[in-house]
Amino acid sequence: MSNSEKNKTIALSVKDIQISFGDLMAVKGVTFDLYENEVIGLIGENGAGKSTMLKILSGIYKPDKGTIELGGKTLKLKSPEDANAAGIGVVHQEQSLFTNLSVAENMDISVGKTGSSSLMGFYNWAKVNASARQTLAKMGSKLDPRTLVGDLPFVDRQMVEIARAIRVGEGANTKPVVILDEPTSLLEPHETAVLEREISKIRELGSVVFVSHRLDEVIRVCDRILVMRDGELVAIRSKSEVDQNELFRLMVGREAKSEKREYRRQNQGEAPVVELKSLTKKGKFKNVNLALAAGEITAIVGANGSGREELCKAIYGALPADSGKLLIHGVEAKNWSVPKAIKFGFGLVPSERKVEGMVGGLDASSNLSLIFGKESTVGPFIDTKKQKAVADTWFEKLDVRPKNPTLELERFSGGNQQKVVMAKWLKSEELELLILDHPLRGLDPGAAATVNSLIRQAVQNNTAVILLADTLEEALEMGDQIVVMRDGEVSSVFDLHKEQPTSLDLLEKMV
Amino acid sequence: MANNNSGTITPSANTAAISNRINWRRLAEPSALIATLFALIIIFSILNPRFASVENLRNLMDQAALPLIIGVGATLVILLGSIDLSIEGIMGSAGLAFVLLSANSRSESDFGLLALLAALLTGIIFGLLNGLIVTKVKVPSFVVTLGMWFVGLGFATVLYGTETIPVLTNPEVSSWSSTLTFGAPNSFWAAVFVVILGVITLILTKTGRSIMAIGNNEVIARNSGIRVDRIKITVFALAGLLSAVAGIIAAIKLGSGSPSVGLGSLFITIPAVVIGGTALAGGKGGVLRTALGVLLLTVLNNGLILAGVSPSFQSGLAGAILIAAIVFAAWSQRDRLRIAK
Amino acid sequence: MSLKSKANRLVKLFGIAMVAGLTMAGCTTAATESTSTGTETTEQKVVSKDDIVFVASVINTTNPYFAANIAGAQALAKKLGVPIEIVDSEGSSQVQNSKIQAILAKGKTVVMFVNTVSSADAPIIVEATKAAGGFVTIWWNKPDDYEPKDVGDNFVAFQKHPGVSSGECTADRLAESIGGKGKIIALPGVQDSTTSQTRVAGLEYALSTRWPDVELVDVRPSDWDPELAYKNSQDLITKYGADIKGVWTADDGMQIGAMKAFEDAGLLNQVKFVSDGLYPPTIEDMRSGRGNNAIVGETFHRGWAASAIGLYTAYLAAIGEIKPSELPDEKRHSLFEIACVGPENFEEFASLDNDIDGWIDQLLINGPWDTAPFKLIGAGPEVLPGR
Repeated sequence: MSNSEKNKTIALSVKDIQISFGDLMAVKGVTFDLYENEVIGLIGENGAGKSTMLKILSGIYKPDKGTIELGGKTLKLKSPEDANAAGIGVVHQEQSLFTNLSVAENMDISVGKTGSSSLMGFYNWAKVNASARQTLAKMGSKLDPRTLVGDLPFVDRQMVEIARAIRVGEGANTKPVVILDEPTSLLEPHETAVLEREISKIRELGSVVFVSHRLDEVIRVCDRILVMRDGELVAIRSKSEVDQNELFRLMVGREAKSEKREYRRQNQGEAPVVELKSLTKKGKFKNVNLALAAGEITAIVGANGSGREELCKAIYGALPADSGKLLIHGVEAKNWSVPKAIKFGFGLVPSERKVEGMVGGLDASSNLSLIFGKESTVGPFIDTKKQKAVADTWFEKLDVRPKNPTLELERFSGGNQQKVVMAKWLKSEELELLILDHPLRGLDPGAAATVNSLIRQAVQNNTAVILLADTLEEALEMGDQIVVMRDGEVSSVFDLHKEQPTSLDLLEKMV
Repeated sequence: MANNNSGTITPSANTAAISNRINWRRLAEPSALIATLFALIIIFSILNPRFASVENLRNLMDQAALPLIIGVGATLVILLGSIDLSIEGIMGSAGLAFVLLSANSRSESDFGLLALLAALLTGIIFGLLNGLIVTKVKVPSFVVTLGMWFVGLGFATVLYGTETIPVLTNPEVSSWSSTLTFGAPNSFWAAVFVVILGVITLILTKTGRSIMAIGNNEVIARNSGIRVDRIKITVFALAGLLSAVAGIIAAIKLGSGSPSVGLGSLFITIPAVVIGGTALAGGKGGVLRTALGVLLLTVLNNGLILAGVSPSFQSGLAGAILIAAIVFAAWSQRDRLRIAK
Repeated sequence: MSLKSKANRLVKLFGIAMVAGLTMAGCTTAATESTSTGTETTEQKVVSKDDIVFVASVINTTNPYFAANIAGAQALAKKLGVPIEIVDSEGSSQVQNSKIQAILAKGKTVVMFVNTVSSADAPIIVEATKAAGGFVTIWWNKPDDYEPKDVGDNFVAFQKHPGVSSGECTADRLAESIGGKGKIIALPGVQDSTTSQTRVAGLEYALSTRWPDVELVDVRPSDWDPELAYKNSQDLITKYGADIKGVWTADDGMQIGAMKAFEDAGLLNQVKFVSDGLYPPTIEDMRSGRGNNAIVGETFHRGWAASAIGLYTAYLAAIGEIKPSELPDEKRHSLFEIACVGPENFEEFASLDNDIDGWIDQLLINGPWDTAPFKLIGAGPEVLPGR
């Protein structure tokens, strides 16, 4: 790659960008070039300044110092509108489409004045639809541009986001510069595959800045990788000259702890915590037989619609099964419900953390005592002193930052929120089963490592764990057994104590 | 990850099928409302044949005119995810300004068309104030417009003073709203004009689509380069202008000015918007839906009177029929609340 | 400044002497009752009078009736040389009560006229006034079982015009104008308003006892709202077409809306209207003969008279001219005459509006219960006929 760089044209040139917020210097003089038809990765821990850098490129923040040049011209980005007009399209980490508008409209709405399909403020619907169809075709998509985004499944929405970013470049009559902000963090493994294919399509049309937490993915997708730490650009590496361990070291500033798994059965001969016998829910899953042993992690993998989420809900009592049995320590559970499950010591960390897992407006210590609140109550009343003591202990144990449990939970970063949500369950001594639905979603490697060690700690305490992992690698790394589901049925079960499947083996059983 | 395998996984090949099914469902709600409307019309016509007379049709058109005009503004504001409660205050101010500047029983001065312009300007200014305070001072629209409601009433009260009711003395002006053109009262034509403008704005202009986008998600809209503040201010000003139009027509209808000329308008309009299917949370709905809601309410109230329902039962019965209509209309939607992941 | 205030005081003293003299000269029952003590308390009166402040509390300031309330109270205050404060309740009981309480807290002796926002407000206001040592007359609205004579001297009187006579008067004039035969419609005010209910009761009573061939085909409460009256009239025109011979409305505001609806329907010339109020637009319409002399009957009573009568009654109690506990029932809960007018005599009443001061002079001469055209005609509570 590096020897061919000289022949390439520079698409985007970033020179000595600096920005401070109060006393904090978030980005300290970052300089790099992005070539046409190139994908560069931008990695760094949370707080390393990469989000800030992205916001500067997309016109949300104005840098204190430094210049951004696009196609040789210096840009003055005062707003996202300016960035769009210049041809920089952004695919945000969170969905950023208008679900009530059509695909075509979503693609058109960010396009700068010159390239827009409207005249004097009036829409030319035919043109809006036609140009959207054209762009989608370039990406190899056959989506009907008139479909409402709200009616599309997740993968297609991602495609629309990318197509929109490209359309922005077309609108500005330049080769598009597309910024992808952690686009894979919400995707299932097979969806990630689709996205990677899409990125290679963008590479043919323009250039990409790709931000991700997943080091393996960055190496696979990007031509070069920029590593940020503490607001500085600490390294630029060609993909051929770097491996995951080096990237981790560059990012975190320390060696990656390679935790060799030791597979050792702790509780042989005991009845499983939960056993499922021909559990069936019409249209969701059928005939599921499964045993969850204490002190073991069961990773369930499967594509969208495989029924694994519903299965977890059924185990947690949130979805009543139609037939089959649910045994707890060998005893059949009847009229199973969430309150009963909690009473038996079942816990759930949902994937939609912000929606289902926490009360964002409530302070962290109150969130902690939402369940198993007994240790911090006196009769029906909350003992705020005890509550705070409990919170302080856990904040210390989990290294939650900032160390202020009285702060509203929504003001913490994603990783720290996840720690609090998990601590809510972990503080119970009698936790029998912990269901983790994408516990690492949106976390940087540092935070992910902490959460993973929390999970291992729970296992040490003899808790059974169900893990719905983000990636197959995560499942392989954490699981004691891996259950593969397909179309509502268990297609295969791997006992990692006995065999070592590859992710390819899992994928085969998934589809 | 095995990306070599990805070729086998295509993103939802059945997208077309999905969109077809959804489109049909999307029409279900307005269709049910239209069906309800026709059912009411048939029932009322049977109960009293005069209901279906030309005279009553004109009545309905005249009575629907004001809520239609205000409803267009209210719909645009609600689609933003905001609310405009200042309607009645602005109507009072603008209506009174118009009467006092036209030929009236209190003073000799007649400013003719200038009176109209001044009254419309009054509405625009109130609306602009709403928009500016909402966007620049960042006070929720509920609070701002609630305040502006009373500011408007207060302004009208000051204009009114303590003298006697100002009566429009030019019969050409005071009969304008009920004068028939092509068989329908002028007030109705004004409403039709406003509704058409509203539909065009919402469907065909960039501003209109931006309103939908902002209502769907304001943060995304901002980050997508939509000038959210400017559009909000524009919409509030537009709503103020339409409230003023309604205030002027209301004053013309009565032939006299009064600060309370808009009394009760808010509580016809907002329900009409909601019944039409526009979500108070914003981003979903439209002007024609509101028009449907207005027609439903107008027919209901007029029909119940013509059917001879006792006034003591009328409001209760109207409410019950409405709930039934809405449940009926929304039935097909109830499992659609979270369609995709 | 001091010179001026001295001059003011002189004028006031002179005024009071005049009032006292006039009161004694008058031969009303009120005057005779109080003359025995009148001369003895003259000094006290002067002292206590400096300490008096008038308060007139109205529901809002834009309704012509309430605006007239203010005008009458101000005219009386000017004549008596007593300072006055106006309370604008802005249509809200809370606003009304808190404003009144603020004034009571200032410490002067309050002499008050209150046109209450709602019936339930009366006890709150009366108790607060009593605690502050003030004197209050309530007009129009009070709870049925809450009588001045049960409360004490501080609740001087409750006063109103009977709605039944109003309804009867207009019903008779309307029925007569259509030749005692045909369909009429009625547009009452807010459905649960006592004022509206009594007027409708009078209408229905007159029709059932005296006009068997007049048919009241529809009654549509229109909430005192001209716009709603317009809309309801439109609907009723559709329903009954040209069959409607007459329209009865509970006040002139709704009459404006109703007449406009009939005018827009091209029916104004063949329909007769009656209402309550005789306000300037109505007077104008009667003078010009709008719609083939469409307005055939009105009742006449005035906000300025109500506030002046109310305030003056309370004032007499405050200065000791009358002792409320010794008054007969009809002077504690009073019904005042409501004039029944038509095209032949409306001008003579309409002219009263041009000389409020002249009428106030009459009030000071004749006392609160005997000043034409609003003489005391009976004791409350008002009885609804046939119930």
